[in-house]
Amino acid sequence: MSDLPAPAAVLEAADVRKIYPNGTEALRGVSMTVRHGSVHGLIGANGAGKSTLIKIISGVETATDGTVAWRGQAVRWTSPAQALSAGLAAVHQHTPLVPAMTVLDNVFLGPARAVTWDAGARADELGRLCDRIGYHLDASRPVGELSVGARQMVAILQALARDPALVLLDEPTAALSPSERDVLFRSIRRLRDQGTTFVYVSHFLDEVLDLTDRLTVLRDGRVVVDDATAATTKDDLVTAIVGERLARVEASAPPPHSAGEPLLVVEGLRSTGRFGPIDLTVHAGEVVGLAGLLGSGRSELLEAIYGADPAATGLVRVAGRRLRARTPHTAVRRGLALVPEDRNRQGLLRDWPIWRNVSLPYLAELARHGLPDADRERELAERAVTDLGIKAPDVDTLVGELSGGNAQKVVFAKWLYGPARVFLLDEPSAGVDVGAKADIIQLIRRLAEAGKGVLIVASEFEELLSACDRVLVMRRGQLIGERVAAQTDLHELTALASGL
Amino acid sequence: MTSEVRRRPAWVQALAPRAAGVVYAFVLLVAVLTIASEAQGRPNYLRAINISNILDQTSLVGISAIFMTVVLITGNFDLSVASTGALAGTVAIKMVDSQGPAVALIVALLCGAAVGLINAVLVQKVGVNAFIVTLGTLTAVRGVVQAILNGNSITANNEAFHVFATAHWTMPQGVAIGVGVVLLAGVAYLATRSDHRGRVLGATALLWVTGLALFLIGLFQKALLDQTLPVWLMIALTVVVSAVLRYTVLGRNLYAVGGNPEAARLSGISVDRYKMGAFVLNGVVAAGVGILYAGRFNSVDPTVLTGNELTVIAAAVLGGTSLFGGSGYVAKSVIGALILFTLSNGFNVLNIGSNYQNVVQGLVLIAAASLYTATSARGRSLVRDRLAAMRARRQAPSADRSEEKELTSAGR
Repeated sequence: MSDLPAPAAVLEAADVRKIYPNGTEALRGVSMTVRHGSVHGLIGANGAGKSTLIKIISGVETATDGTVAWRGQAVRWTSPAQALSAGLAAVHQHTPLVPAMTVLDNVFLGPARAVTWDAGARADELGRLCDRIGYHLDASRPVGELSVGARQMVAILQALARDPALVLLDEPTAALSPSERDVLFRSIRRLRDQGTTFVYVSHFLDEVLDLTDRLTVLRDGRVVVDDATAATTKDDLVTAIVGERLARVEASAPPPHSAGEPLLVVEGLRSTGRFGPIDLTVHAGEVVGLAGLLGSGRSELLEAIYGADPAATGLVRVAGRRLRARTPHTAVRRGLALVPEDRNRQGLLRDWPIWRNVSLPYLAELARHGLPDADRERELAERAVTDLGIKAPDVDTLVGELSGGNAQKVVFAKWLYGPARVFLLDEPSAGVDVGAKADIIQLIRRLAEAGKGVLIVASEFEELLSACDRVLVMRRGQLIGERVAAQTDLHELTALASGL
Repeated sequence: MTSEVRRRPAWVQALAPRAAGVVYAFVLLVAVLTIASEAQGRPNYLRAINISNILDQTSLVGISAIFMTVVLITGNFDLSVASTGALAGTVAIKMVDSQGPAVALIVALLCGAAVGLINAVLVQKVGVNAFIVTLGTLTAVRGVVQAILNGNSITANNEAFHVFATAHWTMPQGVAIGVGVVLLAGVAYLATRSDHRGRVLGATALLWVTGLALFLIGLFQKALLDQTLPVWLMIALTVVVSAVLRYTVLGRNLYAVGGNPEAARLSGISVDRYKMGAFVLNGVVAAGVGILYAGRFNSVDPTVLTGNELTVIAAAVLGGTSLFGGSGYVAKSVIGALILFTLSNGFNVLNIGSNYQNVVQGLVLIAAASLYTATSARGRSLVRDRLAAMRARRQAPSADRSEEKELTSAGR
């Protein structure tokens, strides 16, 4: 590659390997060439090595072996700042912004180009930037008041303000509504045409197919596909990503069955400013989906049912018994289980091993005379690892070391072996790869077959269609429709949820 | 993800400097002081009377540090312990002559519980930052003490508290050896029954270390079996609270609410109850410590225990307790307290002059906290990356042409 000064390659990774100190081999010789003025897709299942590769490229981590070349020069960045000053800006799913500061302040956070802060000049610059990407927002609003999508755009603007040659976008659309996503894509295309290069990392295959010029698929730390996007199809990609576990999502159409007794009854539940009043019923053996866009009040509704919203009023009955004390503590004792939206913040203790996380909700039940029985807890965790196919060396592995899909399975495992009868699942497969997603949908179906009631919130309506018996549509805090999953389709749900 | 990851056995992890550093530091400190006093021709540093002395000086801060650690584990912070102790001591001394020791004791402890409850409600229910709340109660409660005493110191005639705070108790030699043997045998039984010997030995470290210590002291150093009541109280509370934290559901949940309150809450744990309970308990214990302290001289003055809360927190931090909640061990906090008092004792014994005491104590605290941070998972990777970067830089200039190969080998 010494005779390859090819000006077309902005970034070139050659035979990159990464072995973590604990022995995990995350990358086993990955080569990737990102060409100037292109959008390069990087996809792969959780644990395929995507995140590691991104971290190495952007200077967060260093490779164990192999080279990274930036504009033909071998580089070895040891901090993101070095990458940034060379012209590589990374935008992560959760780019830290300062909530109390305005959009303008956040966009120009960091680089000190002058001693004085010339607000007027900055505002002009931001205006030009916004013109370039074709997206405008009020520069004087505090970032804390913005929607998740708008914040993501601020993060992208922040990256662009440094005038980078390459922008690395890591799951930029995970929290975006369809309209926000369109804006983002339009911006990316415009910038590409103006000569900015992108590396685009995503779980959403249609986005990648739609947006990128070339793509690289990783599996188990190796490149399995490296081709022009035009030459690949969605089927190719799914096969490449999951290997043999092909397309089980599509295969698992829910079997028709008669609904059992009503397990979860919600009457007149409301929380001022968030949603309501809402009535709904989930029967034993039934999977009910809650289709709604971000901000429709869907997650808030789940939390209120679970008693995590002290401001909520209304009636919640589980198996005929009213929940009087509205706290998660009571909800758990009465047989409710919640798989929250943000597993790291709400679902897991990342510094704890798998077995301690799994036993957390029902520790008292597992204990003998108030003394936790570590052997039983471990047995339970080992059962969960086997049942759910959690990829981990052993149950002593810290949850923080697991990939997203495996961590999510641990959150599920917390509830599976207890007395829970109604499962409230908030985005159960967010940030989870195709294979794990199929596993999770099968798990949900198994729960229903075992006579549990399941209420799911998901942004991906395909997922609801493949997992649910019924789908309730939520918009602006109200339930506006109900469909039998077998008799509706993606277009109808999308139209209902977005108010078309 | 590969499935073949070698993990170090539990007991190796337990003995690693990160986990047991405070113990090594303590042993090292004692060794240095012993050798130094030997070199200066002074009496043996490790003679029983000196050890008892250090233990007695440590005992009250040690007891406070135990429960401060519990509060820190739940993710809170309590600056008000010293003022609470001063209030309880004042109330106890003031009331003991007129109401008798029992009533005085109860009222004083209730004062502590009340301060704890105020802290708890303001922090957990109103949602004010714990640092601010307890800084406020620290000041306000001290003000109450000053108002009660009105600038004077008072002394009680009833000697009940004084007798209790300074009484000695000698553990019978047979009891020490017996308890030691029972503990060792119990652990040995558990270990032989389990398939995971290392894990059992790690999980029961506190029990067999205590057992071994009692056994050896009972056999060879029975002078050490004579200690003041506060010392025995500190030892007993260390064992009991450690056991509760380590082996009970209550303890597990305390760590959970500190480690990730939201995850704990959504797992059905009543987070507020645990966090508030820790505050109230800490208040009661602070009151008890205050009564013992007042009992030492059977008198109080308006400045009693001033600044003591910082010593208590310093002990907990020396013991590796995280100020962010979710981790900490009470036994290590007690050793942290022992280090602080061994240091000041060493200064006295070696006659170095007390002027530098605070400097050294402060430096020791900063050094310990830096070490804990540097050896944490994040700190380690930071250090590793820095080293890798330095190596890479050193190699880079000498290898302009075959740069890639050189860089590659530097990374290995």
